[in-house]
Amino acid sequence: MLRVSGLTRRYGALTALDDVSLAVVPGEIAGLLGANGAGKSTLLRTAAGLQPPDAGTVTIGGIDLWASPIEAKRRLGYAAEEPSFYEELSAEEYLAFVAAVRGLDPAAARARAADLLEGLGLANRTREPVHHFSHGMRKKLSFIAAVLHRPPVLLCDEALEGFDAGGALAAKTELRALAAGGCAVLFSSHVTETIERLCDRAVLLHGGRVARVIERSTWGAPPSGLSPLEREFLVVTGPSTR
Amino acid sequence: MPAPTRLQAHAFRDLERALTRRRLLRLDPRMRGELVLLALLIAGFLFWQVRVPLDGLVRARGPLSGVAAVAGVWLGLATLGAALAGTRHARRLRAAPAGPEWLALPLEPAAIERHLAWESRSHVLWLAVPALGVLAAAAGLLPAWWLASLAAAFAWLLLEAGRVGCALGYRVALRAAEPRPGLPPIERVLAVAAPGVARRRLPPPMWRKMPAWAALAGKDLVVTLRHGPTRRAAVLPLALWVASLLAWHLPGEPALRHVVAFALVLLAAAALAEWLAVLAGSDPFAALRVLPVGVMTVWGARFAWGVAGATVLVAGQAVAARELAPHARQVLLVWSGGAALAIATLGVNYGVTLFPRADVARRMLGLSLALAVAASVMIPLSGWIVLLTAVLHSARRLPRWSRLAEA
Repeated sequence: MLRVSGLTRRYGALTALDDVSLAVVPGEIAGLLGANGAGKSTLLRTAAGLQPPDAGTVTIGGIDLWASPIEAKRRLGYAAEEPSFYEELSAEEYLAFVAAVRGLDPAAARARAADLLEGLGLANRTREPVHHFSHGMRKKLSFIAAVLHRPPVLLCDEALEGFDAGGALAAKTELRALAAGGCAVLFSSHVTETIERLCDRAVLLHGGRVARVIERSTWGAPPSGLSPLEREFLVVTGPSTR
Repeated sequence: MPAPTRLQAHAFRDLERALTRRRLLRLDPRMRGELVLLALLIAGFLFWQVRVPLDGLVRARGPLSGVAAVAGVWLGLATLGAALAGTRHARRLRAAPAGPEWLALPLEPAAIERHLAWESRSHVLWLAVPALGVLAAAAGLLPAWWLASLAAAFAWLLLEAGRVGCALGYRVALRAAEPRPGLPPIERVLAVAAPGVARRRLPPPMWRKMPAWAALAGKDLVVTLRHGPTRRAAVLPLALWVASLLAWHLPGEPALRHVVAFALVLLAAAALAEWLAVLAGSDPFAALRVLPVGVMTVWGARFAWGVAGATVLVAGQAVAARELAPHARQVLLVWSGGAALAIATLGVNYGVTLFPRADVARRMLGLSLALAVAASVMIPLSGWIVLLTAVLHSARRLPRWSRLAEA
């Protein structure tokens, strides 16, 4: 479970987050919706341990992120909006490194990485240095690294932005599977349609504050199946876009 | 209405002022204080070293000889400045300089050239620090009006040396650019610097279970083998290590070989420490920080390389220094091993605590080691105190790593 309590973060005179509190329970995909500059990325970066809050706490599975960062981060996955990597490593080397640092079983991690790479359409680019990757491919790799260990808590910062239709479909399937397995997902986007299709609840952030929490019942069931454009795209590229 | 070129010149001047201010503000107050203190110590050391010989020279040969000596030293500093600026400029141009996509902007080529050269020569101003030490040493020994004139001339010379160095560096970079008729030279240079898109396949990785520090250390090795700047930083200690082994085959007195080999071991240790600082600075913040690793894991991975490097340095000396008596050899090994480990640890500490500013870490390392050498020259063995103090002081800053925030 992810719990954020009274989180405040300032950049000089600007208050990016102002006393934000929210909780995401296991099995839930909560959408974080807001305009550019609403504080979504600040909230996720602070919740991921990339920047300390000025006030408030973040607990990951009941563990205080800033009091016990290593224990908390074992339970956390984070897909960044602007991911960074060791650029000279190949995608597979990077994932092997992440798996080793996380202490995952090598054979299982390798098999899971292969599945995810295949699903997201990176299977034939795994031996190339990351600095050759396009923006979308980097985002996919960041997503794979974040979900490799099937974290109990997953933070996705505009995670699907830059994905092709096939990759986005595979990533959404993975997110739903993780949630079904008990993962608490906080998924930020400024695209309402993505939130509508994917999330169980939307937290609307405005001016660094939680302006409203909207339950799925408000907007109804997600549209079933693919849109006509997605169908055409997949007809041309196949489910795994290379 | 002003001409576009003038408008661009104004815009670049404003940008350069803002960049200078921002870079100064980015250093925390303690770091600024430390840099000022180190600058004062370097200037003070030069004052200490220059004052007495200069006084003797002025007494023996008159003030004109003193003026010539000061002018000679400053000319040497300006020449060094030109070389540093030129090397830096050529390297930056080859590696796609920082900033926006310059070629996508509607800028006069001359404006881009001028701005990039300004960036490259900004570090040359650090040479004013030793020049001030010499100036202080000459105060009272040489006529004041001569000193004032010389100082003004040096200030002009240093700025011009930066410009000349950048012009030479630019020519070097231009030679590596493809000839494209009709394209302005700076555009040819920047087009070559643009990242390539050729596909390259790497060998499959090893999926192994290992401690996090070992995974980091293994990754460091791979990054070093593939990343140009890190690889270059790793070549220097190896070259100096080989040189320290070859020093035992120099002709002449055994004592001379001993001193040269020891000095080369220390230089190799300094280069090793610089590589470790570069490595620590090369960690991508967000990628590493979301992983379950603490400062001791990050530090431990680099310290392991420091220990390995110091061991290799000492092992080489143990084999090469066979001509020494057993006791003398033991002293050499303990002395060089201790110094190499302390220097490597200092590099790791600065690299980790000043992350991600590898440039600042390298500068601090260089200044600390220069200070230790200067202290040893002034009072034998006092360099050890300086070195160990620096190691302890930098180690006290290690917990700051956990509080670092993403820029």
